[in-house]
Amino acid sequence: MSEQTGKQLSKEEKDARFEAELLPVLAPLYNFAYRLTLDEDDANDLVQETYLKAYRFFDYFEQGTNAKAWLFRILKNSFINEFRKKSKQPAKVDYSEVEGYYNTDDVEGEGGVASTSDMRTESVQDLIGDEVASALNALPVDFRTVIILCDLEGFTYEEMAKILDIPIGTVRSRLHRARNSLKEKLEEYAKSMGYNS
Amino acid sequence: METGFTEAYKKMSEEGNETDCEKVAGILDLVIDGEASSEEQYFFNSHIEECVPCFESHQKQRLLKSIISGHLKRVIVPERLAHSIKTRIQETV
Repeated sequence: MSEQTGKQLSKEEKDARFEAELLPVLAPLYNFAYRLTLDEDDANDLVQETYLKAYRFFDYFEQGTNAKAWLFRILKNSFINEFRKKSKQPAKVDYSEVEGYYNTDDVEGEGGVASTSDMRTESVQDLIGDEVASALNALPVDFRTVIILCDLEGFTYEEMAKILDIPIGTVRSRLHRARNSLKEKLEEYAKSMGYNS
Repeated sequence: METGFTEAYKKMSEEGNETDCEKVAGILDLVIDGEASSEEQYFFNSHIEECVPCFESHQKQRLLKSIISGHLKRVIVPERLAHSIKTRIQETV
């Protein structure tokens, strides 16, 4: 006799559903975490925390709905909370209230994933990839986020609005500004390489 | 010059003094991201057929998106991660 109510799953059923529906999102989720934190250990912690929370609240997840968007939303919120702790911002500041204010302290760090491998053996594709990655990593985190969600993960504006807890109009304007700023960085690079637009 | 696109523009625009180019720039992202309505899409297509600067900015924006989706390397998920997640879940329940 199996229970169909959703809220009353046995532990085995819950674990099986959890693994089947949520674990396949692991790779995109880890990539998102890495692009947010720019640090492998932080990304690791963030993803683990996200899955623990997802497990705890799994009863609220409706089977067959958008598991990827749900997990991305949890991860994004966890990231904001961590970020608040680290930068000692008052916890009551809501994300929507910091719209328009971009903390750039966290983006200087590493040189992104652009590495030191021999330029001559690198293919043009790798070169472009590295340059795009470092240009993206140099963007403020809010800008980086919308570009990743939209262009890399293919979320719709509506899904992005839910993940980020902002209106669709804000998604649009943020995406627009993010792309302009990314374009500027890449155009600088193109010029430095002797290309003119 | 009364062309198809200016008619389409008049039909849907409520914004008065916005030029067609400004309007096209305003919906460029929607078009690139597949979020434009069919009217917006139609207006956009008709306009860039006749306007070189808007055509070029469309090409550029599309290139930018395809570079990100096509050339940005995915980072490899650490092998142990899935296992650690399952272990931690079992420990906490």
